[in-house]
Amino acid sequence: MKNPKLISGIILLVLLVGVAVFGPVLAQRALFADENPLGRGEFRPFQLPSPEHPLGTDGDGRDGLMVFLSSMLPSFVIGFIAGLVATSLGVLIGFTAGYSTGRLDTLFRIGIDMVLVIPTLPLLLILAVYIDRWNLGRLALILGIFSWPFSARVIRAQVQSLRERRYIDLARLSGANTAEIIFLEILPALLPYIAFFLSAGMVGAMLAEAGLLFIGLGGSGLPTLGFMIAKGLREGVIGVGLLGQMFLPAATLILTFLALNLIGLGLDEIFNPRLRTTVEER
Amino acid sequence: MLMDHSHATGVKQTATRNSTARRQVALYIARRFGVYLFTLWAAITVAFFIFRAIPGDPMMIMFGQLSRAQGNLSAEEAEAIIQVYRAQFGLDEPLTTQYVVFRGLDLGPAFVAYPTSTRDLIMRHMPWTLGLFTTTVLLAWVIGTAIGVVLAWLHRRRATNVAILTATILQITPVYLVALGLIIYVGFKFRWLPVSGPYDAHLQPAWTWEFISSLLRHAMLPMIANLLVIGAGFTLGMRALMISILGEDYLHYARAKGLSSFTILKDYGFRNALIPQVAGLAIVLGTTLNGMFIIEVLFQYPGIGTLFVQAMGLRDFNVMQGVVLFSIFAVLTLTFIVDLALPLLDPRIKTVK
Repeated sequence: MKNPKLISGIILLVLLVGVAVFGPVLAQRALFADENPLGRGEFRPFQLPSPEHPLGTDGDGRDGLMVFLSSMLPSFVIGFIAGLVATSLGVLIGFTAGYSTGRLDTLFRIGIDMVLVIPTLPLLLILAVYIDRWNLGRLALILGIFSWPFSARVIRAQVQSLRERRYIDLARLSGANTAEIIFLEILPALLPYIAFFLSAGMVGAMLAEAGLLFIGLGGSGLPTLGFMIAKGLREGVIGVGLLGQMFLPAATLILTFLALNLIGLGLDEIFNPRLRTTVEER
Repeated sequence: MLMDHSHATGVKQTATRNSTARRQVALYIARRFGVYLFTLWAAITVAFFIFRAIPGDPMMIMFGQLSRAQGNLSAEEAEAIIQVYRAQFGLDEPLTTQYVVFRGLDLGPAFVAYPTSTRDLIMRHMPWTLGLFTTTVLLAWVIGTAIGVVLAWLHRRRATNVAILTATILQITPVYLVALGLIIYVGFKFRWLPVSGPYDAHLQPAWTWEFISSLLRHAMLPMIANLLVIGAGFTLGMRALMISILGEDYLHYARAKGLSSFTILKDYGFRNALIPQVAGLAIVLGTTLNGMFIIEVLFQYPGIGTLFVQAMGLRDFNVMQGVVLFSIFAVLTLTFIVDLALPLLDPRIKTVK
């Protein structure tokens, strides 16, 4: 398991999650012992960076650094839940499709391909218009429901190839039932793929969430990194010299995507033997 | 005589093989077209029912906004107005009729530009989106594929690793953040390129150099933003394909035969990697249209993404579903065209099994 990509990805992700979890508490202790830095109108709005406010203050008179730190966790949670939902659906549908044969299999394949091409952003935007009250879980759920087809497609193909293998025949001959074969023989073999899609799904969901906020769903009010960037854009924070209030959340998003991507690539290299031979050759 | 005879048989065999191959390609196209039509129908049906499943009456939402704008109305007046609108927008028809009308592509009047029909409105905005989108994706594909080949060829060099790292970071960066950076630096800080609108506001569309150059300059930034992100994806994809092919056994054989590395790269590596790379193009078409919508809004480009956001602000039901419908149609059709090009590239499809 000495894969540099996987290891650096995991380290980066742990660091980011660490900052998201402990950052707000530590910053609160260090900078604002007896104030509420996230209260609206607590400070004068649009202050330039200073020792008291390392990122300045935002248009609502809140401390920029605290807004940034406390936006990280909701973003990650949305990504995680949505990735989990998408991957579970993908695994479920992929397995059902992979285990069906003949016409049903064709139907599943066409169905998955069909959902794959439906552009999800307009649908998400429409839902955003008609759902009045957003909460974190609901947004994550909806993002997840729309992004299962890619994993379903790959897992279907894998299941179809795996179930023809000799060791599956052997298991069947030794009396294992279908459930045992699925959970004890096929699913473990697919774990790296599932981990890969979990990381890809998290990236996709966080990307979509920030994208939604960018073009209109500004009213969701969920304190996420995407919301902070979109809000900064609307308020023109760069014009007043508060570059950090947009640069930091943007960089954090990119770093998170990089970490998840590295983990995905690393898993791919470890478990995809074709890639591994060429990698070792180099 | 004997020679002639065998020659004739050879010609005959070739002819049969050709016609069989042609029949196979025709069969492939026919089957693919059937799948295309079915997918189109199914996707549109799903979209229709998603729209109908949205909670809340679109007319009520719309009317709520109207009455806020118009001031007070009595209950009867309000009811009458709602009825008129409902009839106009076809929402008083039963669901099946709505479905047939929906499929008949007569999308009803648009609320954002009232007397204009939704279809006309979408047709007016469509060329901007399709023009920018297809040009960008194709350019990104060509450039990305070329760089991918070069990176695979020159592997194990420091510069290559730097290029790969850059491409990896670009590929995972959300396209709207790249666009934002370009707007801030290229647009506002250095003022090299315009950042909003399709052309200079004082110009009228015409075949003059002034208009065309303005058009191109305005398309530059939205295009570069997409090119960087999508192109990086194609670069990495092509490099990975080439690397895995260059590790195959038959390439050791080719090398042992003493073929030049350029020949190996061109005939053995590139040709084999090209087919999955083209297939990749089809997948990317579907997923990048989302980013295109955001790009249009950021650059105030008058495509269907911008239209959609305008319609969203006014809760314009017809236009919103029209845009979704059109995007599904566009993505499926472009994917279909790419799929049709595949047998032209794949020698295996031409030969008889």
